[in-house]
Amino acid sequence: MTTKPRQQKAAAPRRPISITAVVDCVGALAAGNTRGHVYLYDTNKAGGSAGLGTEQLRTRVTAGDQLLWNVLALECEAFVAIDGIEIDKEVCEPVRKVYPGTDVSYWIGTVKKSGTTEVPYQIRFKLGTRDEPLTTALSPALVG
Amino acid sequence: MPQQLAIIVLVDIGNALESRSLKDNTYLFDNMKLHGSENQGTGDLVTAINGAYWSDGSQASEQVLNWLPYSLGSIPPTVPRSYQAARTQQADRQALADLTALTGRPSSDGEDAEAALSAIRKNVGTRVRAAGRSRALAGQQVLDVTGKVVSDHGQGLHNYPAPVITDVFGEAVDEKIIYPAAYGSPDLVTDGWYWSATVDTSRPGTYTYKMRIQLHELVQRAGDWTWEPVNLVCESRLQVVSQPRRNAFTQAGLSYLPLAPGVSA
Repeated sequence: MTTKPRQQKAAAPRRPISITAVVDCVGALAAGNTRGHVYLYDTNKAGGSAGLGTEQLRTRVTAGDQLLWNVLALECEAFVAIDGIEIDKEVCEPVRKVYPGTDVSYWIGTVKKSGTTEVPYQIRFKLGTRDEPLTTALSPALVG
Repeated sequence: MPQQLAIIVLVDIGNALESRSLKDNTYLFDNMKLHGSENQGTGDLVTAINGAYWSDGSQASEQVLNWLPYSLGSIPPTVPRSYQAARTQQADRQALADLTALTGRPSSDGEDAEAALSAIRKNVGTRVRAAGRSRALAGQQVLDVTGKVVSDHGQGLHNYPAPVITDVFGEAVDEKIIYPAAYGSPDLVTDGWYWSATVDTSRPGTYTYKMRIQLHELVQRAGDWTWEPVNLVCESRLQVVSQPRRNAFTQAGLSYLPLAPGVSA
């Protein structure tokens, strides 16, 4: 009896869900925290994400989704970058990458599992010339 | 001295194209939150504009508004202005180098060469056309949101080009509260053009204005992938205020700056 080789159907690549943090760099530096100075958005509103424009964005995800985090400064002269994303490694392990040919960074990771409860996470930001990064005061989350 | 006030217009282009509307797909910000602007980060921003006045109440200077349109989830505007063109050139150069390496290789089996050619074809992508006046986008490859060249446009992986403001109009313009125009700019983040307006702050009140915003949709036209412009309109408000604001030196209300005893003006 012969066995049929298992058909490996390559999954078609999908557009990542982008999560963008708009940071009021001057406000956050003046206050020494991010509360009220970070606005989070994603591109999955049609898929059920909620809390857009707040620090407590709820991004609707399913296992296999790619997530891409990037940042926009409210003042184009200010420097803002993501220093790290603290999230349960069993759910997602974002890594830092740069847009090819530049030193502008983004963070990207694949959702390993979903269907559980909300998975809160924190984003650390590098702002201006401040040495210590600032971490989001309220937690955004992935919702499966 | 005129104060430069910036308004960011962040557009969720994918959803806006889907619904053919900027309503609920546009998020507005400005840098006047501490001066009284309300509803930051929503589609319902009210931008506070505090006039500067002489002690007799007449207008001392004009405030200046600048608009910066950004695309949500796209390659950020902080990459170099010529990023798209530079990536296109880089992909072409890489393809030429790969082709040279392929032709220089000792003759190998045809299948191998075919696979290598197919990989080169994938890396080089395909150029797209641009309809209407969107010439800046014509002849370039399409990038994905991580800056890589996309070869199969049918998968919808493309990065949307930044939205373009093509007009500012409405009540605030009709009432001659703002005088908007597009200006050329060496600014690296606005692609060489930006909309700006001076504000007549002698008539306090709340005024609406509208922005006509051009998005681009990647569609197939007569077999060619084409960036087709889609023009949509969104609305926002300006609140011109003449009340004196807090004294930034003393944190007190209205008064002259405190002078030490014995110091005469």
